[in-house]
Amino acid sequence: MTSLPAWLKSGRVLIGLTIITIVAVCAIFAPYLAPHDPSEQDLLAMLLPPAWAQGGDAAYPLGTDSLGRCVLSRLIFGARVALTVAFLASMGAMILGAVLAHVAGYFGGWIDWFIGRIVDVWMSFPPVILSLILMVGLGTGLRNVILAIILVDWTRFCRVLRSEVLVVTRRDYVAAARLLGFSHWRTITREIAPATLPLLITLMSLEMGVAVIVEAILSFVGLSVGAQTPAWGQMIADARQNIYQAPWNLICPILAIFFTVFGFNVLGDGLRRTLDTRLSETERA
Amino acid sequence: MFATIAKLLMKRLIVAIPILLVVSALLFIILRILPVDPAAMSLPPNATLAEIEAKRLEMGLHLPLIQQYGIWLAQVLHGNFGTSIHFRRDVASLVMTTLPSTIELAVFAMLIASIIGIAGGLILFHVRGTRKEAGLDFGSILLLSLPEFLWSLFLILLFGVALEWLPFTGRLSPGVERPTITGFLLLDSLLAGKPAVFWNAVQHMLLPCFALGISFSPSIMRVLRSSLLDVYQDDYIHQARLRGLSERRILIRHGLKNAILPTLSLMGVQFGFLFGGTLLVEVIYSYPGMGNLMVDAIRNADLPIIQAVGLTYCIVVLVISIAVDSLYLILNPKLRVR
Repeated sequence: MTSLPAWLKSGRVLIGLTIITIVAVCAIFAPYLAPHDPSEQDLLAMLLPPAWAQGGDAAYPLGTDSLGRCVLSRLIFGARVALTVAFLASMGAMILGAVLAHVAGYFGGWIDWFIGRIVDVWMSFPPVILSLILMVGLGTGLRNVILAIILVDWTRFCRVLRSEVLVVTRRDYVAAARLLGFSHWRTITREIAPATLPLLITLMSLEMGVAVIVEAILSFVGLSVGAQTPAWGQMIADARQNIYQAPWNLICPILAIFFTVFGFNVLGDGLRRTLDTRLSETERA
Repeated sequence: MFATIAKLLMKRLIVAIPILLVVSALLFIILRILPVDPAAMSLPPNATLAEIEAKRLEMGLHLPLIQQYGIWLAQVLHGNFGTSIHFRRDVASLVMTTLPSTIELAVFAMLIASIIGIAGGLILFHVRGTRKEAGLDFGSILLLSLPEFLWSLFLILLFGVALEWLPFTGRLSPGVERPTITGFLLLDSLLAGKPAVFWNAVQHMLLPCFALGISFSPSIMRVLRSSLLDVYQDDYIHQARLRGLSERRILIRHGLKNAILPTLSLMGVQFGFLFGGTLLVEVIYSYPGMGNLMVDAIRNADLPIIQAVGLTYCIVVLVISIAVDSLYLILNPKLRVR
């Protein structure tokens, strides 16, 4: 195992990667893994309990919902929406936040002041409220969910990265690069950005977990991808009607969200411990 | 000390006013570019096209957007947020009747989050370097991965449905009469001398408050732990040990007293997030607060309510952050100017 980089030897990183791989496999191969079509209704078998419970049907391993749809199949297909949003939204938020953070931290002056004030305005909105209002303005749909999360969460990257960029910009080797005649573009992309990369990757992993939660919240309120696409938040909202008859309908999507978010959080924590060069030894232990 | 706080308040107010202006402009513009016609919505469905056109003129919808914003802002500054399209009631009074419930929920949830967070942080710090540490640290990541709305559902399933210990819809059981003095239910029931109503309200608040509180505690735990770790590197801890003080006394009187400050500023930010998090908890527990009002308004495309509630959330978040900054000044003597 000596040839592996340090971050791959961390138990947390491995656990996180394993969980995310499992969810990703479910999402990619959903049509092959799911026992049923997620929107196929079996009106003779509504609100079935899971297969191991009294009255369960082996054809529906996790039971059926109030319209007789297979819960397991809907869970597997729901992973598609969750992961698509997680990857694209956090990628977008990272790019927007990182670009603004580098511009603000590197150039300083009025640009820094201006970006800082935009962040202030954003921070005065609770994220849930801002994303709801944006979804009202943008309208529902997968693309708009992703856009709304990008527009809400870029500040998470911008705030943290800006101070990191400020520190790196003052280092001697950056001054040396400027003295050698490097352009601003080259200094930022070749000298500063690589130094902030570990922090960026860690933040990105945590942001993916946040994006999964936000998507679940939006689809729970009915402002996400629409009723025809299976999504975990949607399943929770549907199952709430039948909480007494079929608690498993509620528990399954809750566990799915928890499992996925936990994967991203453990990965992020593991990466933070192994990649962050400034972390004191006590923290790393 | 009061001079310092007054100066800080002035400085923060000067910053807060432009922020609120920008926020209100954003709210107005985002919601005005919707493909919804407020004139058609505020009339009965059998209105003729001519009536709708007349209403459009009356509402000023033909004017440029900037001018519309100016008119709206002038009205808002006079406390007039317009009339709800769906409820046909004054929006300001709708917000004022729901805001106290949300504040009660948020304050008690924050209290629970602080207690669990600080206790958890001390425990996490206490077990540092032992075998329990990895397990507890892992546990705090587990907690961190359960957002407030999953906790709400989970607590409903456990204590509401499975054990049937606590109620989980609304603020009072049906048939319990609600006294109205200040609008804060818990306070009112005590002022009116009705302990039964108070107890009923407390029972209804336990699950939502714990759901919110637990979900916001792990980040407090983790920050407190790492700032305690930082503080313990300092010489005065070593000196306190040399003086022969007990570990417990060092932790509480020396360590915690200094480590609480970074934790406090995180708690301020957390409180702002928590205030936004009440929205989902309210929806799940059918709790009659601002969050439910907002979600109903979104479903009915009730723009005046969405604008007013959005603005109210922002104002509360700004007030919280100013309050926390003042508290920070009171607790940290180093920041005071003499």
